[in-house]
Amino acid sequence: MNHQTLTCSANKPVVNADVVVKATNISKCYGKFKALDDVSFEVLAGQVIALLGHNGAGKSTLLKLILGLLTPTSGLLQVQGYSVGSMNARQSLSLGYLPENVSFYDNMTANELLRYFAKLKGVALPKVYELLAEFGLEAAKDKRLSTFSKGMRQRLGLAQAILAEPKVLLLDEPTVGLDPLASAFLYQKIAQLRAQGCAIIISTHELGLVQDQMDRALILGRGRMLASGSLTSLRAATQLSNHILLHFLSNTQRQALLADPILAACVKANAGQGLTLAVPQEQKSAVLNHLLQKVPVGDFSIEPPSLQSVFHHYMESLCPLQSPKMPTKTINITDINQAINLESVL
Amino acid sequence: MNRSEVLHRRLSALSIVSTIAAKEFKDNLRNRWLWMMAGILLLLSLCVSFMGSAVSGNLVVFEPAQILSGLVTLSVFMLPLGAILLSYDSFVGEKESGTLLLLLTYPLARWHLVCGKFLGHACVMTIACILGFGLTGLILISLGDTQAQLSIAIGFTHLIMSSILLSLVFVLLGYWVSLCVREKAKALGILLILWFVLVLVYDLILLSAVVGMSEMFNRTVFNLLILLNPTDLFRALNLLATPSDTLAAKSSLTLLAQTGLGLPLMYGLLGGWIGALLLCCSWIFKYQEI
Repeated sequence: MNHQTLTCSANKPVVNADVVVKATNISKCYGKFKALDDVSFEVLAGQVIALLGHNGAGKSTLLKLILGLLTPTSGLLQVQGYSVGSMNARQSLSLGYLPENVSFYDNMTANELLRYFAKLKGVALPKVYELLAEFGLEAAKDKRLSTFSKGMRQRLGLAQAILAEPKVLLLDEPTVGLDPLASAFLYQKIAQLRAQGCAIIISTHELGLVQDQMDRALILGRGRMLASGSLTSLRAATQLSNHILLHFLSNTQRQALLADPILAACVKANAGQGLTLAVPQEQKSAVLNHLLQKVPVGDFSIEPPSLQSVFHHYMESLCPLQSPKMPTKTINITDINQAINLESVL
Repeated sequence: MNRSEVLHRRLSALSIVSTIAAKEFKDNLRNRWLWMMAGILLLLSLCVSFMGSAVSGNLVVFEPAQILSGLVTLSVFMLPLGAILLSYDSFVGEKESGTLLLLLTYPLARWHLVCGKFLGHACVMTIACILGFGLTGLILISLGDTQAQLSIAIGFTHLIMSSILLSLVFVLLGYWVSLCVREKAKALGILLILWFVLVLVYDLILLSAVVGMSEMFNRTVFNLLILLNPTDLFRALNLLATPSDTLAAKSSLTLLAQTGLGLPLMYGLLGGWIGALLLCCSWIFKYQEI
């Protein structure tokens, strides 16, 4: 069965094209250390933005700036049209925030906690009961938070973040330490909020999870914006190879494939029953045609570069020591083109 | 901004402060801190009142002035310690757990948080002091004659009011340190040193200096040095409120009572300490990057 694992999140519709976060050349210095250096970006309503970067890249600083907890050393940062930092702005803003590894107040119950936060945000109490039910916490609403699992705490955290139906939601490592089901639940809620027009900024290291949900990624490195854009545009910018995954190869097929100089040059991984070829985007069709002519494989799939690969690419460019080298072979595109063309002529 | 908007903001600030205060108060009810503090003060006051004479070989109820003097001497150790333990992790604890960062993203000003916490802790200390000393006072009033009843009522009222004020000063000192450090353990360590200096060492140094270097210390300098330490102010206030000839003759602390300042001014000064520390904490917190 032929199938393609293609992701094209750039085509997701944007519910509302209003700019809710606009950063123009913002920098933030702590003494002589520049945590953020000349960063510019925009976030539209209804967009999911993945904020990526190595540890210490400036992600948390950027989130704190958007939240108004810090003020930029230079540049302009506007959230919902207000310059961040002023109390008047914060009172008028509609922001939700889920911090990383927040432990809340262990001696309170889920019900008490949400009621407390609801009062501080001026939200009516029925909303609390609604959210407890929506996030599957109704049965545990009177249990102390010290007895809650990590997944339950994160659900509660997301519930408090969306108490006041925010226009901008900031999530700091929302899925760290969660099991796949709990992560899927969180991303399902994120998708719902996105559909309602909420702009969501997710700072995360779990790239595989965020890849399918995001509209754009902002990649930070050493305080600078290394890249930003949809996965498709980042793939195009990085020119990383596509992967052709060949499943269940017989020995004869494998030997035939490895005997072919063009295909052999593309082999990235050769273990178990399958084999992976790394092929540049523009050569994908040509190599695939060549492959099917030479080795009639029955089951294969094509995977474009993942967000993880894109991220590694930028981290490598930043500093080779920051990122472990991906096990890829360097393929000379011109050589493959020439070889394929020569074969077709012959 | 029109008048209705101003009123709305003020009501909103009041609502936020009272919400935070209620949470702090409930926390201290839940972890039984309030009952523990009230119990300790009650036990202390009952022991001093009814068993204080045992050390002299008799078992009689002391004179009101003697009881109050004993209570003041012991309270000056207990109350600041209790207040410190109540407040040392108020900010640094929330910083460590991540809840402070979260709260600051809410539509509230930082002074709301300081005032809310302070109001909650003030309620805890007020109830603890009223229960702890008030019950003993009531028992003593019910046992005494008319003259003693009045003296006890006045003395205990001053003791309770000044105890509350002293506790609040140390609650705020706890906030101050809690705002300035990054670990709970460090906050507690610094506050215990501060307690040790203000409650134990300061007096000894001051009295030694007065006795040993009397030519250098005139009355004004001495008064000023007393005013710089809220625990001395507490002692001086209570000694002034319950004058006793026999006590005055025996106690070296009489010097403290001879500051020449009136009771209202002493209450005002303790209140001034509270106001200054509250402003100071709000100011530190306002300009702090989390």
